[in-house]
Amino acid sequence: MRIILIILLAFILTSCTFGERKIKIFQVEEPRPELNLESPEPLTLDDLRWIIITSKNAEEVFARLEAQGFDPVLFGLTDKDYELIAKNFAQIRSYLKEQNAILEKYKEYYEPKDEEETKTE
Amino acid sequence: MFGQLRMIFTLLMIAGIAGAGMYVVKLRADNVILKANQIQLEQSIKSQAKVLAQQKKDFEKIMEANKEMNELVNNLQEDMRQLDKRFTKKGRDIGKIAEKKPGLVEKIINNATERAKRCVEIASGAKLTEQEINATKKSEINTECPAIANPNYNAYAVED
Repeated sequence: MRIILIILLAFILTSCTFGERKIKIFQVEEPRPELNLESPEPLTLDDLRWIIITSKNAEEVFARLEAQGFDPVLFGLTDKDYELIAKNFAQIRSYLKEQNAILEKYKEYYEPKDEEETKTE
Repeated sequence: MFGQLRMIFTLLMIAGIAGAGMYVVKLRADNVILKANQIQLEQSIKSQAKVLAQQKKDFEKIMEANKEMNELVNNLQEDMRQLDKRFTKKGRDIGKIAEKKPGLVEKIINNATERAKRCVEIASGAKLTEQEINATKKSEINTECPAIANPNYNAYAVED
């Protein structure tokens, strides 16, 4: 009887703290979800036609336009402006290509396709 | 007298043994701490080595990306220079040529516009055709932008 009382008393005094485990804190790295924005569809541009008009062929060109059912009117550029517009478009094209290449490089760097590689790293 | 000395001696012996025992216990405790420290340090070295290896890999990737971007930019700039050259080569005046041969120039610039249009499509992400990929001769390439349209044509290897 005494023994039982002593054990009970011990339990009460220790508040059943036997076997209390330490809290383990651990960190699990959760990777950021990928952005995965869809790339816009590549451009499909319409054909356009340049017409060269000089002081000598003007009448012939307008006649041909009328025969083809177009209004006899042309929006003109000088030869120098034609060069400029060609260069401007080339610049826009280069810029577009560079931007797309940069985007691709960022995607390759931050979201590599080879998942195994990132896991092992 | 002798009895007292024996008692003192015995006490000293007991104290010595107890002290030695406590010292051993302390040493064991220290040893456990040192082992734990050693494990921590080893883990830390391992993780540092991992971080360094990852940094090295990232640095190589960055260098590679920069190199590829520089190549692309240089090629695009060369495309631009070639376009400029085409207009001014050997004192060429496109206006004068067009005045003399309007039909021919019209055909040339319409073909060039068709090729330039394709260049914009490629720059916006359109996939290259087999023909564009396999083009290796000057007669097969898109002369407006060989840098992006014809990956197998070494556009600027030889300056004309």
